[in-house]
Amino acid sequence: MNPITPIINGLRITLEHLFKKPVTLQYPAERPKVAQRFRGLHALNVSHDKAKCVACYLCPTVCPAKCITVEAGEDANHDKYAARYEIDLLRCIFCGYCVEACPVDAVKMTGEFELANYHRSDFVYDKERLLEKK
Amino acid sequence: MVNLTIDDKQVTAPKNSTIYDAARINGIKIPILCHDKKLKPFGACRMCLVEVEQMRGRQVPACTTPITEGMIIRTSTPDIIKARKMVLELLLLNHPIDCPVCDKGGDCDLQNLTYEYKVNANRFSDEKFHHAIDYSNPLIERDMNRCVLCGKCARICDEIVSFGALTFISRGIETKIGCEFEGSLNCEFCGSCVSVCPVGSLLARPFKFKARFWALTNQKSVCGYCGTGCNLTLGVKDNKVLTTVYDENQGFHNGQLCCRGRFGYQFINSDKRLTTPLVRKNGTLTEASWDEALELVAARLKGAGSSAAALATPRLTNEELVLFKRLMETAGSANYDHSAGYAHAALTEGFAKSFGAAASPATILDIQKSDLLLVIKTDSYETHPVIGFEINMAVKNKGVKLNILSDKRGKLSKLPDAQTLVHTPGSEVAVINALAKTILDDKLAAGTAAAIPGYADLEKALAGFTPEAVAGQSGLSSDAIKRLARDYAAAEKALILFPIGNAYPGHNADLASAVANLALLTGKLGTEGSGVLCMAEKNNSQGAVDMGFYATRGLNAGQIMDGCASGAVKTLFVAGENPVVSYPNRAAISAALDKVEFLVVSDLFMTETAAMADVVLPACSFAEKEGTFTSVDRRVQHIKPAIGKIGQSRTDFEIFGQLIAKLGGQAPATPATVFGEIAASTPGYAGMSYASLGETGAFAQVAVTAAFVVPRTVAVEPAAGKLALVTGSALYHNGTQSQFGEGPMYVCPEGYVELSRTDAARLKIQENDLLNVASAIGSTKLKARITPRMPEGVLFSPYHFGAAGVNQVWGGAPVTWVTVTK
Repeated sequence: MNPITPIINGLRITLEHLFKKPVTLQYPAERPKVAQRFRGLHALNVSHDKAKCVACYLCPTVCPAKCITVEAGEDANHDKYAARYEIDLLRCIFCGYCVEACPVDAVKMTGEFELANYHRSDFVYDKERLLEKK
Repeated sequence: MVNLTIDDKQVTAPKNSTIYDAARINGIKIPILCHDKKLKPFGACRMCLVEVEQMRGRQVPACTTPITEGMIIRTSTPDIIKARKMVLELLLLNHPIDCPVCDKGGDCDLQNLTYEYKVNANRFSDEKFHHAIDYSNPLIERDMNRCVLCGKCARICDEIVSFGALTFISRGIETKIGCEFEGSLNCEFCGSCVSVCPVGSLLARPFKFKARFWALTNQKSVCGYCGTGCNLTLGVKDNKVLTTVYDENQGFHNGQLCCRGRFGYQFINSDKRLTTPLVRKNGTLTEASWDEALELVAARLKGAGSSAAALATPRLTNEELVLFKRLMETAGSANYDHSAGYAHAALTEGFAKSFGAAASPATILDIQKSDLLLVIKTDSYETHPVIGFEINMAVKNKGVKLNILSDKRGKLSKLPDAQTLVHTPGSEVAVINALAKTILDDKLAAGTAAAIPGYADLEKALAGFTPEAVAGQSGLSSDAIKRLARDYAAAEKALILFPIGNAYPGHNADLASAVANLALLTGKLGTEGSGVLCMAEKNNSQGAVDMGFYATRGLNAGQIMDGCASGAVKTLFVAGENPVVSYPNRAAISAALDKVEFLVVSDLFMTETAAMADVVLPACSFAEKEGTFTSVDRRVQHIKPAIGKIGQSRTDFEIFGQLIAKLGGQAPATPATVFGEIAASTPGYAGMSYASLGETGAFAQVAVTAAFVVPRTVAVEPAAGKLALVTGSALYHNGTQSQFGEGPMYVCPEGYVELSRTDAARLKIQENDLLNVASAIGSTKLKARITPRMPEGVLFSPYHFGAAGVNQVWGGAPVTWVTVTK
């Protein structure tokens, strides 16, 4: 091959890109649209103004990273509810098994990926924080 | 043995087996919902259908069909699987699919079978039940919507517990399990029904929603309450004992437990547990380091000689008791005792003289092998409930005759054909002497009796105890006494049972000797199903006696208290005992402990005694330590830690070992080493090792050297206008420790005084009235319980409750005469 041809090809590609829409997002001014099946931060689904979770303990059971802590409570109607639901994101591997195991569709994974924080304690998402994420 | 073929496999099984039993013995699994090893065959669930070739391939329930020679059985043909699937579909028709919230999820027989048989859809449809769920009870929740009508709960309550709280109500599709008049459950809360329920109909409320079954770690242990020695499986999660797990193959009792065994475990992880050593500074107990606390104790004990004394609870392990004894000997003192020293004198003095051994020459297993049981005080049920279950089964299943001699009636009196002789309090020794006298007079004594030392003396001493003479003082008829004596003598095998312990002051050495005389006279000793079983109160009372942790050369518990009051005892080390509540005469005990210069208490909780101490050491419960316990029938059982130590607590073994080291002695490193020493030096324990004990334990042998001993009888004179107060144990409690178990406290939260309907009517007392009960030494206020079981003129009060202060009234006499006012 002529040694000049690859250089010309490269310059051509560069020239083409000069007239194309850029692929780089100007984050944080511009935000990406994540795929539907993206596994980001967890959230607890709500039904009738309370968490759907019935504290069946299946998610902590299947969790391979052992990052979910559930403690069940008994409400005034003697029904079971999650008195404590915590996910330690520093341990979580975002495998989504918790969502698959849930028999009542109480836990889902949102598109939220901005999970950086300054303190270890901030990575522990309790029930209230998980409920905020709709 | 019967030969048969199951699933093309040639097997043998004992005669009288059912097909289900034969399959199980030979490792062939047949699914079932309504069967439990302890219960009689019922055939309710139809899951165990099998085909028998000789019955033209008809499907028959395996659990109710007896085997016959040459039977050819198939347990899993396509037809059988189809039938079982349909049974499951029909069960699931009404059963709510609430597995995510049902506590039984993961441990549910129905769930497991549904999964195993792949019942993924239901061909039938029907409305679910809408029975109201019974939440009224603090220990057992009943949700009859989930019930599969296997009847196990009703059957265990009837056949073994003999309470009959649950039964089938209505017929056909309306059938359900319920209580009398469809009311709420009001029973003795042993939880047996909960343990056998195959689904989530009956649930233990203290464990409700706490964890899933699969998340628990099961650790086998031995119950830390009474001396029966029941085996437990503790369900542990996150270093907490969350529940007791039922195992039908565990122990002589096949997993059966009483209220305190099943529901009294919460004290192990109670928030009230002591977690750091405390040292009294400027009058208040303040947190201190172990070093500081132990240095203080060691400094006091060093060279203390007889000015030091020790009291231990018989809840310590054998190894700890040996080490405690060694600690006191290192300090130069022989003053050590546990409650066996005086409340368990029946063993240490009575049996020691009569049998030459401080142990019962019979076992719990003899109960079901006997022909006649003579139970002294019906409290044998309340003090050792699982022994009560054994008696129930002996009477109901084996037709064993039951005679009861007691100062009040009890649950055992309600068993079929039970004969109860209710005598006046304090006259039991005289009545037993009268039985012996009748046996002598009627020439019913065994031929061997005359050769036993002391026969002539006994014969002479019994001269005054004719049934006619004793009848007057005991309130029994002479005919009844004679009949009882003849019954006992006529039985080929007869076993006498009586409980002993704190607050049973009448159950002393003399009662033991009187009872022993009876067995020796009739030759009912040393053979299977015969003998005498003395039921010591706490889980290791017998062990404490075997380890010699009672006064032999030094002061006994009572004398130690006197020594504290007089100043002779300057340092007192109390390990796990709570004398302020459990010893008689609280005023005197409190004054003695106030007076003692230096009081050390090692305990799990800040008890009334610990609150008076100069140094309090946080100790470990049975669930956190290793060692051995010896049950009432000398079954030695090994326990291992189920959880890690709570806070900074240490086992008593460590505490005593470290103190011995500080005093310049050499302490053995591990409980296993000490057990080796016990096996080498304790009679009956020879050859034992942790390995040889295994999971079932081993019996320490009892070598009997018989002798007749004339028991002392003290005439209890009735006091005009006063009632006789007898103390003892309540079914739900054992010692003072069960006060820290939430389960027993839900059911029986405070002290009370039981009285007869007649006395209540005469004194115009209503149920729950607050009564002022006063004796010569003091008074206390107790709630009234009016029960038909109490005879006129007799009161009963359990001693466990610190706040009730029964020992403010009771001073240690077999009978305390009291006045009762509103």
